[in-house]
Parts: sequence; C-alpha cells; structure tokens
Amino acid sequence: MTAVILPAGIWRREAVAELKRSWRLPQFLLPTVLTPAAFYALFTLAIGAAPAPTAAAASLAGYGVFAAIGPALFGFGAGVAMEREQGLIELKRVSPLPAGAFVAAKLVAAVAAVGVAVALIYCVAILAGVLLSGEQWLALALLHLASTLPFGLIGLGIGMRMSGKGAVAIANVLFLGSAVVGGLWIPSTMLPGWMRTVGEFAPSYHLGQLARGIVGADTIGSLPLHGAIAVAMTIGAAVWAWTGWRRNPA
Amino acid sequence: MHDDLSAIATLVDVSKRLGSTLVLDRFSLAIRAGEVTALLGPNGAGKTTTVGLLTGRLQPDAGTARLFGLDPARPAARMRMGVMLQASGLPDALSVGEVITLQSGYYANARPVAETLEIAGLTDLTKRRCGALSGGQARRVQYALAICGRPALLVLDEPTAAMDRASRQALWATVRYAAHQGTAVLLTSHDLEEADALADRVLVMDHGRLVAADSPANLRARAGGSVIRCRTALAPALLQTLPGVREAGDDGGDRHIVTADAVATVRALCTADPAVSQLRIADAALKDAIATLLAPHQRNAA
Repeated sequence: MTAVILPAGIWRREAVAELKRSWRLPQFLLPTVLTPAAFYALFTLAIGAAPAPTAAAASLAGYGVFAAIGPALFGFGAGVAMEREQGLIELKRVSPLPAGAFVAAKLVAAVAAVGVAVALIYCVAILAGVLLSGEQWLALALLHLASTLPFGLIGLGIGMRMSGKGAVAIANVLFLGSAVVGGLWIPSTMLPGWMRTVGEFAPSYHLGQLARGIVGADTIGSLPLHGAIAVAMTIGAAVWAWTGWRRNPA
Repeated sequence: MHDDLSAIATLVDVSKRLGSTLVLDRFSLAIRAGEVTALLGPNGAGKTTTVGLLTGRLQPDAGTARLFGLDPARPAARMRMGVMLQASGLPDALSVGEVITLQSGYYANARPVAETLEIAGLTDLTKRRCGALSGGQARRVQYALAICGRPALLVLDEPTAAMDRASRQALWATVRYAAHQGTAVLLTSHDLEEADALADRVLVMDHGRLVAADSPANLRARAGGSVIRCRTALAPALLQTLPGVREAGDDGGDRHIVTADAVATVRALCTADPAVSQLRIADAALKDAIATLLAPHQRNAA
C-alpha cells in the first residue's frame, strides 16, 4: 500500500477549533487567566508602601511564570482528563488525526490563554512604573509563553492517567505548590531551606530564575544551568506525557 | 483466513491482556471488502478490545493487527476507516456543522459536509451546539462522523444501544445502504435481531476466543432447527438427556430446549413428565443458536 498523505491544514484547523472551544466556554480558563494579574496587583502593589520599580520588576518575572502554569495545568491536565471521561479523546484517536496535531492544538489554546494572562500582568507592571528595554520585554514574553510547554506536558501526563476530579485536585496542588517552592511569589532567597531544596525539582524554580535574570533581578546560581535544567525537565515531561498517551486505551 | 487477499482488516493470533485479565487469547479475524460482519458475544467476550486493536487505540501483546495493510496505530492507516464508538461524547461548545466540518478535514477524500448532514438526517440541526442535542440526535452526529470520510471500512461499536425502535430501523437502513455501496462493516452488538437483520457473517466470541463464524442462516441451522418451550418440573440437566436435545435451560420457570428432532424430543418429554404444560414449538432463532454455541464454554468457565 502506498503512503497515504494527510490533508493539508489538518493541524491548523484543529488549533482553530480548539481556540473556538475555549473562547465559547471561558469559565474553565478565565479564573486561571485573571488570578495571576489580580495577585500581582494585590501583593506587589496594593499591600505595603509603594515598592521600588526594581522590586516590582522582580515580582513581574515570577508572576509571569505563575500565569503560564494555570492554563497549562488546567487546560491540559483537568481538561484532557474530562475529555477522556466524555470519550472525546477516543473519538480523535480512532480518526486519522495525528496525536501531534491534537496536542499542538491544545498547546495553542493554552498559549493563547497564557498570552492574555501575562499581557494583563504587564499592564499592571507598566502602571506600577516598571521600566524594561524592548529586548527585555520581548525576552520576558517569550520565556513566559514558553513556560506553558513543560507544564502543559506535565498536565497531559496527569490527564491521561487520572479521572477528571483527581486531575483537578492534582492540578490545584501543583499550581499553588510550584508557585511557592519555585519562588514565584516570595523570592527563593527568603524561603526556608527545605522549600528551596524541593524547588530545585520544580521547573517553576528554574524558569523563575531565568525570568529574574532577564529583568536584572538577583538570581541564584548559573543561568545557563537553569536553562539546561528547564529544557531537560521539559523533555522529561514530554516522556511522561507520551507514556501516558500510549498506555491509556482511551 | 490468514492469507485472505480480500481482507482489508485483520487480526492474526492476537493476544491482549488488560490488567490481569486475558481479554483476547490468540484471536484471529478477517474483515472482507463489501461484507457486513457482526461480532457477537456476552459482556467481557472481547468485542470492544477487538475494536480497540483494529482502530489503533490498543496495541496487541502478541500477534499482529493490520488495517489496509498498515499498523492501525498509524494515522494514515485510519484514513479509510470510519468509527462509531459506543460511549463517545461530542464537544459541547461546537455546533453540529463545525464538528462534522472539522472531522471531514481529517480525510483526504471526504464527502461534502452537506451530503454527510443529509445522509445522517442532520441538515436541520447544522447550527445547533452539540451540548444541546438529545441522545438520539447525538448518536446521529456520531454516525455522521463515522461516514464523513467515505470509509471503505465502517466500524460500529454497539451502534443502536439505547436507541428507540424507529431510530434503530433508520440506522439499519443507512448501514444497509453503505454496505450496498461496497463499504465493509464491522458491527458489535448485543442485539441478535440487529445481527440477523444486517450481517452477512456472524462471529461469535466468548472469553477472548472465536466460538463460531458463519452466516446467520447457517448458525440457525447449526442450532438444530427447533426450540421447545414448556412448563415442566424436570431439571435442565435431565432434559439434556432426551433424544435430539442440543441444549436445555431455565428461563425463569419455563424451560427452553433446543433440539434437532422436535418430534422425538416432545414424545420423550411427555413420557418423562406427563404433567408438562404450555408446550410451544418454534423454529430456532439466532439467539438460540448462539446460546447453544456459548453454553459449553460458559459451563467450563463456571
């Protein structure tokens, strides 16, 4: 049998349909999109004396990573688990749609939600007087958007292994836990020693350090090493997601 | 069977374990072009697992699965197959038209969307959100998703479960039409009437193995011709020893006896139990044939 060619545009159309679905059911993503900006405004700006713009910039680095974790973990983890329970994933898996197109479409929808979430934070930051160069804004935005990937893959692995309710619970724990031990809310230098140790195993810590590096805040350890660890963790998350996808019948 | 050149989908000596259960035990199957094959068997016989292997969702532990000559796990292998799953949902936020348009986009040789909607009787529901459909309407969308790519193989997993009689008849008509157009159909069902109405070939499964493969007419003949129903105090085990009897069982008070020689059996029955009452004799239905085929296996398992 000769090779069968998949129709052109199959990836793009899947992504558009996924964006439509999230747009029409905003109740799933809206809380995770709004929470980070609200927290950032509340804890960085409203509480205490007006912070120095440098402190607000350092916070911005961490809150942007936090903003990527929510849509990634909930959109993929809880979303995929619920779709699996409803038999929606099974429907895709018996069609000629490649698994990659399915995952990419979900990723596009998550990145779009993250884009809105970080844009809101950037607005708050600008109002607070944070001054960054064009290159810094660009690098920061790319890093924040890219943070969706490792957490999306972790979420996919959870979603393929757990029930909808279980996945929501785990996503909540990871969402808040990653923010705390990763030093996204309170800088790692101010965390108890054991939390910093746990943080070493969280992608949020390494991504947070990279983001702090971009805005010129103080960092711990070597930035290239943080970058390498973040990439390695993303690959590990991809393996976790792939094995979950393979072993689950639906 | 293994070297059947007209086979478009095959399982050869496939074993599959799910958890600690051996769901399929060196099971083989060939689906031929233009033929409606019904897969029958009790719950846990391995029907859904068979569908899972042919549609690429499951990987065999041993043996091979082939779909149009390819591994069903490859998206390209599934290009000429349409599947209607037993319990799959639909994306609530998308309209019927959007879902069918999206699915049609997966196939190289898709039907025009308007034609798919027409065949499935969904033209009036094109703009309706899937979340607002009734159960029967949702099943019709599932059927539309299965046929939108002009499949050469249509897999229907319990297609009419929970459908009312009119919807069932309507679906049967569309399946017959698809088969008439040369589409091979694999159908799993609990419903023997459905298999009898649609299938060219019935495969009876039990405990992951093939028990019988034949046309519905031949299977009926193999059952021995007649079914006797009556009210008697005699135990099924004793009835089994009467002349001509293939199988006897208890239907909650009444007894049923499948026999090759109704006259001899009835004569012996009346002698053994002069108080026998409510005697009825009918031609064996496919149901009786399958009960006969499954009986020895179930006794072994018990």
